[in-house]
Amino acid sequence: MTQVRTVSPAVASIVAARATEVVKLYGSGDTAVRALDHVSVELVRGEFTAIMGPSGSGKSTLMHCLAGLDAVTAGIVEIGDVELSGLSDKKMTALRRDRIGFVFQSFNLVPTLTALENITLPIAIAGRTPDQPWLDMVITTLGLSDRLHHRPSELSGGQQQRVAVGRALAGQPEIIFGDEPTGNLDSRSSGEVMGILRRSVDDLGQTVVIVTHDPKAASYADRVLFLADGRIVDELRAPTADAVLDRMKKLEG
Amino acid sequence: MTAATLRNPMRVVSVRNLAAHKVRLILTVVSVLLGTAFVAGSFVFTDTLNRSFTKIFNSADRGIDSRVEARKSYDPGVPLSLVDQVRALPGVRAVQPVATASIVLIGKDGKRVSTGGAPSEGKIWTSAVDSVTTPPTFVTGTAPVAAGQVVINNGAAKKARLATGDHAKVVLPNAGVVDVTISGVYRTETETGGYVGVLFSRPQALQLLTDGSHLSALDVAAGNGVSEQTLTARIAQILPADLKAQTGDQVRKDDQQGIQTALSFVNYILLAFGFIALVVGTFIIYNTFSMIVAQRLRELALLRAVGADRKQIRRSVVLEAGIIGAIGSVAGLAGGVGLAFGLHALLDALNLGLPSGGLVISPRTVLVALLAGTGVTLLSAYAPARRAAKIPPVAAMREEFASASAGSLRRRTLIGSVVGGLGVLATVAGAASNKGGTAAGLIGLGLLAVGAGAMLLSPLLAGWVITPLGKLLGRPFGAVGELARTNAVRNPRRTAATSFALTLGLLLVSGVAVIGASMKSSINSLFDNNVSASYSLSSQADLGVPIRAAAAAGRVAGVGSMTELHDLAVQLDGGGGQSGTAVDGPLAPVLKVDVKRGAAAPGPGTMIVSDSTAKKSGWGVGSTHMLSTHNGRTITETVSGVYKDNQLLGPWMVTGEVYRALVPTNQWSDIVALIKAAPGTDEAALRAGLERVTDPYYVINVQNRSEFKGQLASQVNGLLGLVYGMLGLAIVIAVLGIINTLALSVVERRREIGMLRAVGMQRKQVRRTIYVESLLIATFGALLGLVLGVTYGSLFAATLLRSQGLDRLSIPWTQAVAFLVAAAVVGVLAALWPGVRAARTRPLEAIATS
Repeated sequence: MTQVRTVSPAVASIVAARATEVVKLYGSGDTAVRALDHVSVELVRGEFTAIMGPSGSGKSTLMHCLAGLDAVTAGIVEIGDVELSGLSDKKMTALRRDRIGFVFQSFNLVPTLTALENITLPIAIAGRTPDQPWLDMVITTLGLSDRLHHRPSELSGGQQQRVAVGRALAGQPEIIFGDEPTGNLDSRSSGEVMGILRRSVDDLGQTVVIVTHDPKAASYADRVLFLADGRIVDELRAPTADAVLDRMKKLEG
Repeated sequence: MTAATLRNPMRVVSVRNLAAHKVRLILTVVSVLLGTAFVAGSFVFTDTLNRSFTKIFNSADRGIDSRVEARKSYDPGVPLSLVDQVRALPGVRAVQPVATASIVLIGKDGKRVSTGGAPSEGKIWTSAVDSVTTPPTFVTGTAPVAAGQVVINNGAAKKARLATGDHAKVVLPNAGVVDVTISGVYRTETETGGYVGVLFSRPQALQLLTDGSHLSALDVAAGNGVSEQTLTARIAQILPADLKAQTGDQVRKDDQQGIQTALSFVNYILLAFGFIALVVGTFIIYNTFSMIVAQRLRELALLRAVGADRKQIRRSVVLEAGIIGAIGSVAGLAGGVGLAFGLHALLDALNLGLPSGGLVISPRTVLVALLAGTGVTLLSAYAPARRAAKIPPVAAMREEFASASAGSLRRRTLIGSVVGGLGVLATVAGAASNKGGTAAGLIGLGLLAVGAGAMLLSPLLAGWVITPLGKLLGRPFGAVGELARTNAVRNPRRTAATSFALTLGLLLVSGVAVIGASMKSSINSLFDNNVSASYSLSSQADLGVPIRAAAAAGRVAGVGSMTELHDLAVQLDGGGGQSGTAVDGPLAPVLKVDVKRGAAAPGPGTMIVSDSTAKKSGWGVGSTHMLSTHNGRTITETVSGVYKDNQLLGPWMVTGEVYRALVPTNQWSDIVALIKAAPGTDEAALRAGLERVTDPYYVINVQNRSEFKGQLASQVNGLLGLVYGMLGLAIVIAVLGIINTLALSVVERRREIGMLRAVGMQRKQVRRTIYVESLLIATFGALLGLVLGVTYGSLFAATLLRSQGLDRLSIPWTQAVAFLVAAAVVGVLAALWPGVRAARTRPLEAIATS
């Protein structure tokens, strides 16, 4: 059951991740909850996408499914040219390790490793040596040169999250997913982290997708997708915080 | 939810907590169970044996109203003439002469009937008239009436496949092999597992089992209306000074006391197992509760926040401990009964001559097991409970927390350094002291203190040892090894408590391994340096080498010289009894006597003594001493030489003439006969010759040098086997501890493991991380135990053995490395299940909040 469907190279080069008619049900029978209801979306290379929506809209589920953390009930999810459904746990893990970067809400660093060790962890797990010039560039972008040998407990929340972003960037993934990356940060630290993600798109050519409920954070994106009741209901390009807030009010109101 | 309020909210929380974490509950219960089981098992086993033996002795002693025997064991016993004198006393119904000697019964297959541990003895057949109790009933046949007729017990008959009318052989010390006819098979209720009882007719028994003039005892039954006391007092009046009369009650009481003394050794060993299991279990229980408290921190803080006071929190943790302790103790009690049953069945299967009978579970056993199990659990959980009570309510709101404060570790380190330091001082003082007893005492004290210090310091040591060790062992595993190493030192307190079970086990086993190896190599070197015999003859049964067998061996072609050694127990200079050696034949060819002064061998009228005996008793060359056994029979010997102490020679040596003058003829035998081959003799032919002439005696081992040496050294193996058993137990408990700790840390690190899975760690890698972490913890514990065990084993060997004349220190390095590897393997095995559990963590758990 390890079918891999290849998409034509021309399309693959533009699309970093794609969801086609994705359905996600939780539970079964009468109590089933439809978290995603035939969602189709394409995430383009070199673009910064924010997914927004009220609580329970399915925005986190969509991201988990796109990132290979959760399996879909129906539909197709592809990362680059690889279709995720039917991948073995081993292949899925390797895919996450080699082609996807993650930034979690609660930092999720290994407390016993230093900042630098945390940044290079996925590379080390894969048994590879880091690409030094790239790593240097990432570290410069993070602005953490003087904190590299500190443990997470010796870093502030913003610094920890910057380390987490560094970990996501270090392996030069095809796409980075952020799950409320600023959810636990104050506004100044939020700004710093979003700035770094923005620069990784602009300067390093990364593809970034985040889930957020903060319009200010969403305003750093190129494109904002709005979810409600498991469907994509709206989309905004070149957003400002105010514009995002307006749409959100409309959705919730 | 109903509107009803919880009547006892804290209790409900405790109980539901236990129910919610069944694996944790089971592992902790098992660690309590193991210790309790050994405590309970030891009591049940010894109580059972005690009752069975008591029953046997009571039945054997039944009907005795008074017993006459010698005051001193080395006296010859009761003169035959006394039988009629006692019978003539008023109020005497029956006088039963008692004479017992070790014998060997040869079965139909021509092989000796092995009894396991049970006695194999020859006795006098007593008719109903003379019996103090009813004589045994016959299964078949009739009583022995003539010389050459015997009756044997049913068990022995079955084993030897002998039936009434069959011809058989009986081996005796001096008489050698006697041909007998089975005139009957009797039944006795006093029969233990492999017991062999051969009853001779009275005249032949007196000839074979006694010196011809003395019995070992007289059992007397009183007539109607005469009390035990009256009878005993009457008999006492006619007895000479060297004999005593005891009432039947006294005899039974003494016998019972003898049983208890004999069994107390077994009891101590089993209790030692229980103690070790409980001590090791303590660490596991402590660790479990510490982790439970850490994991429930937010919940406990929440309880505090909603109004539970410290006492309530503490009580709820203690209550959990109490429940676990109670369940564990009850299960342990059941396990102990099972253990005793199994042990009994095992020994029975090995034919060790145990009496049969139902298991005895006394109220004391139940009480001690329950108290020990529950007490240890409560005690171990107390510190974590206190820590739980100190959790501030605000912790409920905090995201992260530190589980152990560095300050308390500092205090622990300080106390550990002081205790350990004192231990080192005591050890150094002990090693410097040259008095054996004091030295061993001080070193023992030092070991206790250093052990306690090591336990307190082990969180610190864990960091020091595991970091370089992890870099070394973890290198082949790359990032996985690095993660495992940092995880192993993440919570030093926990690592220390987990590994200390192995530390204790290895401390014990490596220490004894060093002592055992030193004893063996000392015995070997003693043998190599002092024994030059080509062959030795020794006996498989406790009746020694019959002297006729030795005499026959001495005439075999190729025997250059033969030296016979006898064990001689006498009263020295009218004082206490002492055992020495009597020798026939030349010493020089077979044994080296390191002469300090005077002669190298005893001669007519002379004895030689060891240096320490001479010093202790103030003897010297020229001093004369009285050796006496029989009333009146005394021989005076003059010391002609003093030799350097030697385990093989004993405290003093006299000639065989002295032995024959003092020991009753029927008891004459050799403990060992040493043979030196004549120059140029073919060894194989000599051996074959020796075996040919000794085979008819059935019980003789012909051994060459290495076999004889091996037999001496094999005594050490029994001791080692026992301690390896203890190690096995400590390891079982240590494994449970490691499983428990790892399983709990996996739960604790669920989010972290989920994150690692999300960023691309394969399941295999997750498992491997846990394995390597466990490997490091186990290796650390084993290393610490090995270092302590080898150090203290060497110190004990050096001081204790020196005083025993065994002076070779030998450290079994290969074995030590094997122990270490075994511990490492055990570590990995213990991690299998927690590793699999960890690998099952889903990546999404990293994201799940709370």
